[in-house]
Amino acid sequence: MNPIITPDWVLKVDGLGKVFGPFTNESIAKTGSDCGTSKDPSTGSIVAAWDVSFEVAAGEALGVVGESGSGKSTVMRCIAGDQSTSVGSVHLRNIDGGNTNILHMSASARRQLRIDQIAVVYQDPAEGLDLRVTAGGNIAAPLTAAGLRNFGAIRHRASELLSRTEVPLNRMDDVVRSFSGGMRQRVQLAKALANRPPIVLLDEPTTGLDASVAAGVLDLIRGLLEEFGLAAVVVSHDFSVIEMLTTRCIVMNHGRVVESALTDQLLEDPHHPYSQKLVSAARS
Amino acid sequence: MTKKLDPNMVLDVRKLHKEFVLHTVDGRTVEALNGISLSVSAGEHVALAGTSGAGKSSLLKSIYRTYKPTSGEVWFQLLDGTFVDLVGLTDAELATLRGTQIGYVSQFLRAAPRRSTFDIVTKSGIQRGMDISTAREAAAIALKKLNLDEALWDVSASVLSGGEKQRINLAAGTISPPRLLLLDEPVSALDPSNREAALELIDTLTHQGVAVLAVFHDIEAMERLATRVVVLQHGVVGYEGSPQQTLAKLAGVAR
Repeated sequence: MNPIITPDWVLKVDGLGKVFGPFTNESIAKTGSDCGTSKDPSTGSIVAAWDVSFEVAAGEALGVVGESGSGKSTVMRCIAGDQSTSVGSVHLRNIDGGNTNILHMSASARRQLRIDQIAVVYQDPAEGLDLRVTAGGNIAAPLTAAGLRNFGAIRHRASELLSRTEVPLNRMDDVVRSFSGGMRQRVQLAKALANRPPIVLLDEPTTGLDASVAAGVLDLIRGLLEEFGLAAVVVSHDFSVIEMLTTRCIVMNHGRVVESALTDQLLEDPHHPYSQKLVSAARS
Repeated sequence: MTKKLDPNMVLDVRKLHKEFVLHTVDGRTVEALNGISLSVSAGEHVALAGTSGAGKSSLLKSIYRTYKPTSGEVWFQLLDGTFVDLVGLTDAELATLRGTQIGYVSQFLRAAPRRSTFDIVTKSGIQRGMDISTAREAAAIALKKLNLDEALWDVSASVLSGGEKQRINLAAGTISPPRLLLLDEPVSALDPSNREAALELIDTLTHQGVAVLAVFHDIEAMERLATRVVVLQHGVVGYEGSPQQTLAKLAGVAR
């Protein structure tokens, strides 16, 4: 620890693990990158993530890379509270000075965190938004949850957020189902930022969008991360997204972190055999 | 881990090794650095010379930790006079230093696509602790110094020429003088007059006390800027000395 150069974390994940199904020490020993599987051969349980640890500071974006099924999204969902966690701890600087393991908080307290501490942007906008509701209505939800009651104030804030994420204001009162994919992601981003949370988790935020639309959304995300000094976790299998948004990365394979590195180092000098395979596949 | 070393020294590299293990090619190993030791003091411009493959760029990348050194130490003096070993820092700590005290300018622009010239340079200033208005002023000064046409400032840098990108790179890397500046062929694509402006800028930084470790393609630039030349051969220091001593020898080899 050097006080001059060691950044203060805002989000700290320590030894996080999630197993679907019953598990023993043997389940852990018989799964992972070295074993080439996340499925326990004797019980059939899936060790989706194990021994995942990292810290993220304000203004910093950490990338989580790996193939589908490597456990990236599981980690994110465990932090967000979308999924129960088997072991480990998650600490937020804003909650009890970082001393409380939020995984031990009640379900309702966890939901509270989602209002103004941890925002999530999902690959599928249908997960983050109610498609039957208008763009303005979707953003009003977290604002009212945070205690804002005045209709005019809510509308004003919603329009502010939508203009910041470049959603035409004349679409504010249209149901989100009528929006294109790129526009839905912009509404998701506006909703995520509604109460100025210090932490944002982005799960494949541009995957599935047309290249030109993805580029625009990516530029927007980069701008928002910088402007609001957010601590971000970016889950993506796309190295161009990772390179553009993050300074550091972890690489996951079969539920385990096989390498953590500065992003440029991961791209130019990956160490783990799996990382080398992943990078060379992406770059060739 | 901190340490007291010669207070003038900004960078002290000791027995640095870098070996690549290529798991995708039968686990073959490639040795890039074979135990390099060298130091750079404040206000010193050390030019790295040697043939292609001698390890010049690998050394810069290993110091900046784009390559993770296999063994050895890289002591760097912080603002408070203490030294830290860059090899042993966490990724997050190194990221902090990169943003503030260690600059790296390569021949290629690494900035995100679709970002304007002025934005890239301004952002670099903000990263180094300037407020937005100071950073904008400094960005304008830096770009003007490098003769980058003002009409290009709001253009996405990815559409510019190699020489224009190099100047953006230099402007971003030097907007606020870092303690240590690592340069890897930063002027290789510049025409003579722009090259001259860029060399002038680098020379000024050296005189302001920045420790510079640089790779230049041409001997003329080294002659002009270097206070010392270190010649690398096969991943180790072959010989070093003043530009007069070493460059004649190098030129002799070249001819």
